[in-house]
Amino acid sequence: MKNWWFIRGLRKGIMTEKYPKELPEWSTEIQGQGNANCPTNAIKDEKWIKEKCIFCRRCYPNYKPNLNPRIYTVKKTQPLFKKSFYLYPIDSGSCGGCNMELKLLSSPEYDMTRFGIFFTNTPRHADALIIMGVLTEKMKEVLRKAYDAMPEPKVIILLGACAISGGIIGEGIPLEAAIEIAGCPPNPFTILEALTRVKEK
Amino acid sequence: MRYYKWSQQGEGRKIGKLGNYCLYEKTITEGKCEETQKPFTPQTYGSFRFIYGPSAGGLLESIKFVITTNGEKILGIEAEVYKNRTIKISGLPIDDAILKVERINAPFSASHTIAFLLSIEDALELELDYQTLLKRIAEIELERIRNHLFVIARLAETASLNVPTFHLLHLVEEVNRLIGKSCGHRYFFGVNSLNEVRCDFGNLLKIIDITKEFKQIFDGLVESRIFIDRLQENGKIKDENSVGPSARAAGFDYDARKDFKVLPYDDLGFKTITTHESDSFGRFLVRGLEILESSKMLVALYDMIKNNNTNYEKTKESYKKVGEGLVRVESPSGDLAYYVNLDNGIVKSVSLLTPSQVNLSLFLKSVTNTIFTDFQFNWESYGIWVSELGVKLE
Ligand code: SF4
Ligand code: SF4
Repeated sequence: MKNWWFIRGLRKGIMTEKYPKELPEWSTEIQGQGNANCPTNAIKDEKWIKEKCIFCRRCYPNYKPNLNPRIYTVKKTQPLFKKSFYLYPIDSGSCGGCNMELKLLSSPEYDMTRFGIFFTNTPRHADALIIMGVLTEKMKEVLRKAYDAMPEPKVIILLGACAISGGIIGEGIPLEAAIEIAGCPPNPFTILEALTRVKEK
Repeated sequence: MRYYKWSQQGEGRKIGKLGNYCLYEKTITEGKCEETQKPFTPQTYGSFRFIYGPSAGGLLESIKFVITTNGEKILGIEAEVYKNRTIKISGLPIDDAILKVERINAPFSASHTIAFLLSIEDALELELDYQTLLKRIAEIELERIRNHLFVIARLAETASLNVPTFHLLHLVEEVNRLIGKSCGHRYFFGVNSLNEVRCDFGNLLKIIDITKEFKQIFDGLVESRIFIDRLQENGKIKDENSVGPSARAAGFDYDARKDFKVLPYDDLGFKTITTHESDSFGRFLVRGLEILESSKMLVALYDMIKNNNTNYEKTKESYKKVGEGLVRVESPSGDLAYYVNLDNGIVKSVSLLTPSQVNLSLFLKSVTNTIFTDFQFNWESYGIWVSELGVKLE
């Protein structure tokens, strides 16, 4: 009976969380004052620019994370995606960190399907292109083709410091995004909450 | 170099190409480093080429496969990495270089950063702090457990076994939270520097619950015919130029934790897991059993790690040396090595050997004569990361 998976699943019970029980400090919002030895110029005139932060701790202890994981910017919403929202993830040049955290949205803790969010295997069925990593030469064409293959309405989501600003590795993605999700990598909760915001009015 | 010597000839097993050199178990040689031979693709009547990738649902990262098939069998295959990143490290001070090394491959970030730092410490001839070394082992073993859980989750997902897939992803998340709680970051970014680890491993025993839960899933998978039928005899290969779990699955007891003594693994006592299956099933078995073995090591480490700071006095002056260092660690997918040249605290040059580059050649060899339905299982069983494959260090 060891592989009666259905029974096992029931026995384990539901583990989905409204808000994560535990959050690591880095990548959450950063606050502080004074000097910062920031390698990406993410602190200017004592103001923190989340899109540029790679959460390296160089500015610590003058600047500290405050455990607020809501470090995303919603620039555009699309209420048509309210009931179902299909994502096509595309890796333009990541370190694998953003990919792992995105994948973990399907873990029971986050269970993205409860919000009607799903991954799709083809851009032809996608509502959103979710791009992670810096812009690499060969992927430029692939990104364009994937975007062209998507039906309207469609949105672009930039995931992680690399995609938004290039972080410390290279260039960011020069496309207008509906949402920018900061973090290196962003926490799965940050990603999930940002995605649910696209579907709002 | 305290651990390696230059030689005309290789000594011990061959590990692979390290920049312009060839790395063996005990020596590094100049000149040619024969890699696993590319498989020959026969053109038969009616055979055609089929492209998978560079971006597709089944692939977590961007890589393109060109597959020659006659409709059933894979007759030949080529791979092309699509997300090539050039990362500039030479000319940077050590601390700045670390920020980039951490981001070569986040899932193996501890292994990369620790191998890089150890090679710098080798070049600087620094005396290594024992507590730091123990904490570094804890990082690498946590990373190994997370990686193996993730690879097994990908295998279960490929077999459409949803309950174990999600249960395993839950365990990956648990390990990430444990790492996050201990070190402040789920992928060990900002944690490692010269002779220092900024983690508090007071919660390490949580790993016992995680691996107990894993053991039940593992036992279920091992008895599931639906699962093992897809893995057995799939991607069978026995090649003495293999590394990590792919080598150990084929009965080679290659393990940098035992044959390269830079980290005090001997003080922990552990078994190198081997099987004689040499197929995707063997690679799965090795990973599963390694999770249990790594968990035992972490329990032993819990008693040994004192959370006081390192007693090593940091004198920035001692960094200002000229020297070369070469260190190899056992990352979750096999040998990972860094060779660095330092000049006055600045990284003059750096070369990298990743397990993914060795495993990719092996994977391509093992795919020939399998059928496309088997492809995904075989691919996932190697645990290859395209991020470290596509990186070019300058
Ligand atoms: S964590 Fe690093 S990148 Fe972010 S603001 Fe501080 S110094 Fe800058
Ligand atoms: S943002 Fe950070 S985690 Fe994401 S791909 Fe870039 S370096 Fe990796």
